Formats: sequence, structure tokens, C-alpha cells
Amino acid sequence: MKRGILTVILFCFIVSCAACADDNGNTLDEATSEFFAMNTYISVTVYGKDADNTVKSARDRITELERLWSVTDENSEIYAVNHSDGKMITVSEDTAELIAFALRMAERTNGALEPTIYPVLRAWGFTTGENRVPQESEIKELLNMVGYDKVRQNGNEIQILNNMMLDLGAVGKGYAGDEIAELLKENGITSALIDLGGNIQLLGTKPDGSNWRIGLKDPEGAGNVGILSVSDCAIVTSGNYERYFTASDGTVYGHIIDPVTGYPVNNDLLSVTVIAKEGKICDALSTSLFVMGVQKAEAHWRQYQDFDMILITKSGEIHITEGIKDNFSLDVNHGNMKVGVIEV
Amino acid sequence: MKNKVLIGICIAIFLIGVIGSALVLFAPHGTKVNIVQDGAVLYTFDLSVTEDQTLEIEYNGRTNIVQIENGKIRVVEADCPDKTCIRMGWLETGSLPIVCLPNHLSIEFADEREDLDAVIK
Repeated sequence: MKRGILTVILFCFIVSCAACADDNGNTLDEATSEFFAMNTYISVTVYGKDADNTVKSARDRITELERLWSVTDENSEIYAVNHSDGKMITVSEDTAELIAFALRMAERTNGALEPTIYPVLRAWGFTTGENRVPQESEIKELLNMVGYDKVRQNGNEIQILNNMMLDLGAVGKGYAGDEIAELLKENGITSALIDLGGNIQLLGTKPDGSNWRIGLKDPEGAGNVGILSVSDCAIVTSGNYERYFTASDGTVYGHIIDPVTGYPVNNDLLSVTVIAKEGKICDALSTSLFVMGVQKAEAHWRQYQDFDMILITKSGEIHITEGIKDNFSLDVNHGNMKVGVIEV
Repeated sequence: MKNKVLIGICIAIFLIGVIGSALVLFAPHGTKVNIVQDGAVLYTFDLSVTEDQTLEIEYNGRTNIVQIENGKIRVVEADCPDKTCIRMGWLETGSLPIVCLPNHLSIEFADEREDLDAVIK
């Protein structure tokens, strides 16, 4: 998939309309919209009154947010901040709120979430697809421009140092998911599934009142590791298995960078899945817990306990927090994986 | 003695072959069928309720014509060079999809055991 170019253009838009009944036998409309935005394939399916129009406004809202936050679109607010030569820039309410959230999460995770890592990510070629292994000196130099604590925010006014770059990619889709869920709710929708390129946001249950069945992709092979049966929550997975490259010496480098070393994360984890009420929390935590590794991720959960998570380790283990363990069933073909419950 | 062992081994291999073929040919499947092109599902039909029809599926200017009749599905016409997809006949088993390699098309039974709403990636 060619990134960057198609981000603003919705290359695909399908609306289908059908009728189905909820658990009370009332007829509900069903509408689906599938399109390309935020560098990914997005699908929104809603059930309820006036589903058709609601799904259209959901799509418009995502497009609107993308225009604000694209790093590469010259008209975006983030682009303006990143090319401000150190000057103060006034941004919209949406952008200010997202930056404030990203900075809060950066602080909460002790910098494991790093919204200013973009220059390093770019040096590895993950933003262009032309991957390379940068010199150590280059990484060291670039890390000088990284640091969420150097971002100044005063309400809608944002200031970063010259040469620094802000990238809200690790929280933007989650925030968009929350916004869409809110918009749908305001429009009387009680049941919806929003799939932002594999980030899942669920509004309510399925129309028949049952839980949604969501597959958890095997980070190492085909098929799903297991199935989550859940409702009214968001689910986001991070791992270095989706976007990576193999260097000439055979080393595999993934797209999630450890902000301390400037190198792609290489620890005991294959993937982290976070389940929580809010998509933006899931988005921010899945990335930062992946950076932390098993031990610190479990410690973080014990400290906050405002989310659930599933860790898949390189040694073939699944660590699942106690709050979600009853909603998870292991796939029959993955019976060899050891499942352990993380308790307080 | 040596011959008996050899015959025994031959019978064993033969039986394994027969059982293997049976497993492939009679692999359990539901009634839902996916028509997939380049990994993307173009159509999903529940053959138990779908009316008889023919579909034209295009790939780079070439087409396959797919027929659904009496709850069965097959490729009836194709302008690919090898026509393997037509020769495969009706889709019969869960383990062997109808494939048209030149046109990147495959017709397969959907795995209903994992009737999922979405997949987290």
C-alpha cells in the first residue's frame, strides 16, 4: 500500500443499506461506509435509525480530523506546527485536545509514548517506505530533537523547538474512533462497529444484543490467536510484525521506535493488545506498553488498572489481565500457546 | 519375510493416501462462499439461499464468469490462458478452492467456525 499519497482522497466509498431487527424485534437500518483515510482502510458499520446519513457524517468527521493531523499534508495544522521555525502556532480545539492528551500519556508512560519521535522514524525510512539503517551518530543527533517535555502548550497555542516534529500517529486513530463513537451516539445509534485499519471501536452490542466477536491476529503466522467476545469498548494492537524491513545483514527492524535508544523496539514482546472504554487510551497504551516490554507493561497495568491487555511474547506465551480473561477464547490451532493471567 | 514387510509398507502408504484424499475431498464446509480477488473478498454468498445467477468478474481487462445454480458455484467461462478454473467444476470441498491464478481469483467456502465481526491488527 502506498502511504501518504492517498491519505486525503477517499478512493473507495461504499454505502449499503439493509434492514435488520434488534433484540426487541424493531427494524433497524444498517449502513456501511468503507474508505481510505489516515493512511489506512476504514470501515464504519452502523445499525439504527437514519443509519445511512449518520454513517456519512462519520466519514466526513474522519476526513476533517485527518486534514488537521496529517504530517505530510502541507495544509494540516500539524504541518504548520512542524514548520513553524520555533514560533507559537494557534491550532483548533480538536488538535489542541489531542496534543494535550498525547503529552499526558507521554508523561504517564515516562516517555515510552513519544509524540516527537518522528525525525528518528523518518531516518529509518518508515515514513517513506525507503527503509535504511541510520548511522549511530545520526540517531544520536536526531534524538536531541526528541522530547515531549520540550513541547509548550497553552490552550490552543502550541510551540515546539526548531527542527522538532510532532506526530500524532500513535493516538490520532484512537481519538478519531472516540469521536465517531460519540457522533453516532448523539445521532441515536446504539450499535456500531468502527474498524480503523485494525483498530476496533465498538458501540454497544450487536443489534441482536450479543457481544461482537473480534479475532486477534496471530503476529507470527496466519489466522487468529483467539477471539475476544466484547461490547462497548475499543481494542487496539501494536507490534513490530505489521510494518518492518530486513536489513542487508538479515536483522529485522520494526516500525515502533524505542525513544530512549532511537532503535526499533526489540524486547520480549511480539504484540500488545489493549482493551478499554476509549480508543485513544488503547492507541496510546498499546504503543507504549510494547516499548516497555512484559515486566514494565504488567507493572503499568497494576498501577493504573484503567484498561485490560493481552501480551503475546516471543516465547509463545499469552499474558492476559484478569478483567478480560473470560472474554477471550484461544483458537483451536493455537492450543500450544501458554495462557497466563495477570493478577493484581 | 522381507516381501511381507514391503507389502505391509505399501498397503500402509496406500491407506494413508486414501484417507488423506478423503479428508481433502470431504473436508467439512458450510454454505457461505467467498469470491476473493487479490486477497480482498469481492462477494460473499450463502449458497443455501442465493438465487441462480451469473456474475462477471474482471481483472485487468480479463474476465471470469461465475455461475451459481441450485446452491452450487463454478466458473463457466474465463479468458485466462489455462482454463484450470473451469475444469475444476463445481466448488465441492472446504479444503480446495477454485482458483484462477492468471486473474488472481479464488472461490472458496468461508470458514464459518470463525464467524467474526472484525479482526484486530
